[in-house]
Amino acid sequence: MRNIVIGQYLPGSGFFYKMDPRTKIMGVIIMMVAIFLLETIVQLAIALAIGIVLMILGRLSIIRIARGMRPLFVLLIFTFFFQILFNREGELYLQESMTVSLSSIGGIILLTIIWRLLARFKRFRFFLLLAYLVGIFFAFSLLTYGYTFTTFTFSIYERGVEMSVFVVIRLLVIITLSTILTLTTKPTDLTQGLESLLRPLKIIGIRSEDFALIISISLRYIPTILDEANKIMAAQASRGADFQQGKLKDKIRQIISLLVPMFIIAFKRSEDLADAMETRNFVPGMKRTRIHELAFNMTDAFASLFILCSLAASIVLRVL
Amino acid sequence: MGIRFQEVSFHYPQNQLTYYQAIANITLDIESKNEFICLVGRTGSGKSTLAQHMNALLLPTSGTLEIFGTKITAKRDKKTNYNSLRKHVGLVFQFPEYQLFEETVEKDIMFGPLNFHTGIDEAKEIARETLKLVGLDESYLNRNPFNLSGGEKKRVAIAGILAFDPDILVLDEPTSGLDPRGKTQMMELFKEIQDKTGKSIIIITHDMDLVYEHASRVVVLYDGELIYDESPKALFKREGLEKYHLQYPSPIRVLKDLKERFDLDLDIYQRNLSDAVTALKRAVK
Repeated sequence: MRNIVIGQYLPGSGFFYKMDPRTKIMGVIIMMVAIFLLETIVQLAIALAIGIVLMILGRLSIIRIARGMRPLFVLLIFTFFFQILFNREGELYLQESMTVSLSSIGGIILLTIIWRLLARFKRFRFFLLLAYLVGIFFAFSLLTYGYTFTTFTFSIYERGVEMSVFVVIRLLVIITLSTILTLTTKPTDLTQGLESLLRPLKIIGIRSEDFALIISISLRYIPTILDEANKIMAAQASRGADFQQGKLKDKIRQIISLLVPMFIIAFKRSEDLADAMETRNFVPGMKRTRIHELAFNMTDAFASLFILCSLAASIVLRVL
Repeated sequence: MGIRFQEVSFHYPQNQLTYYQAIANITLDIESKNEFICLVGRTGSGKSTLAQHMNALLLPTSGTLEIFGTKITAKRDKKTNYNSLRKHVGLVFQFPEYQLFEETVEKDIMFGPLNFHTGIDEAKEIARETLKLVGLDESYLNRNPFNLSGGEKKRVAIAGILAFDPDILVLDEPTSGLDPRGKTQMMELFKEIQDKTGKSIIIITHDMDLVYEHASRVVVLYDGELIYDESPKALFKREGLEKYHLQYPSPIRVLKDLKERFDLDLDIYQRNLSDAVTALKRAVK
């Protein structure tokens, strides 16, 4: 729990850092729309290539961005296989009859054991998973000995392969875009940008300043509350609370022993914060000045131009 | 045999490359009976980290730790039941707010014993007794722990630990935030607990007067290293403790100043106010 990082801002000096957060937020939204307008794998591949070139120009580490995407790999793999297995359009590529028999189940159990044993080689985790899945495929198709429970056909169609690659690349581009935004913009700048962008909502009675304040206070207090949670867990563990083991009834009790002090401390902290803000003459809804005013510069102008061109290009491609 | 530290080091990871060294090469033996140890050192010297090793909340990064015969090393051992060690060593944290959660004091004190599989009726009886031990009467049993005063909360928190009858009681700054009278009462309470039960008591504190008057042994930490481990009498006879951010107890400071100013023939090492006054009277006559 100690290692959770909120907001992945990484200090740097490329042109992404010099841009106005408003340009970046609007840019990411417009680019996403543009990506969704694209229809073929080739167009998407070009978009991905442009994205990579931009990252290189902006002096962002691609390795770092890929590392940030690691938690989403599961989602990508899931999407990939889902598309391959369930899209049944176009030409038939591969058809294989699969047997669920005693020997194939035994083979899969054996494979699982081998996979779990090798799991400590964390570096090759991804390849091991792939090898495991391929192994399962061959176990079902080749091991037909012993009592047979049921059979089914496993088939891959042209559209299935196409769509799976298409969807995965599209997700990849979108994730890359949002990663660039969070990687190069401080959380405070992000909220300030949002505040500025949401200002027109005043007409329907929503004050964007309040909204931004809520976000920035929440972001500010996440590490603090996590720290408190660690301390409370240590204090209750000293009284024999075991958060890992035990019966369900005991577990519920132990979670209550964690939650009650947390709520009490959080409420106390919020009262203290309110007092501290009031003593520094914070009045909700009043106009306030800032140290760093957001300002549009040349980079933003170029970026806006580029973004609008991309949108126009994808609209043209779609219409043609 | 209580707790034995052998060259124990611990560092908090910060990110992949750097870490923060909290304690380094600590070698320390703590008996399971009748010790009264004060752990002193400036803020950030590793006192709390050391305390959290004593009941295996933190595992050493290197070195070995032995708690009531169970060896603890850097690697989390699946066979070791870390939870059961906490029954032997009770750790009371600085702020009772981190610990109190039930709607009545009685239920809160019962939380520990119930976790260590004591029956409900027995736990109720224990709650009554421990509350008496920490100097609160039975009327507190049905009160809400959140409506108590700071000192009372601290007492209830200590009762919550004493309830499962640990052999060693470790307290992280139990006297902070109390007025001088409250501090003295708290220290007297610990002495009383020790006299009645023979438990070893380890206290983290910044108050050298209390250390000098009550402790039988002082452990001084400085930048994560163990500097001195001796009786308070021996420690405060040393010169130049200021460089470890330690202050001499007030009887010593006052008597030393008087001795130098008036050139008196005076034994300045007096443990409390009345002894200091007696010594001063003798010197003036």
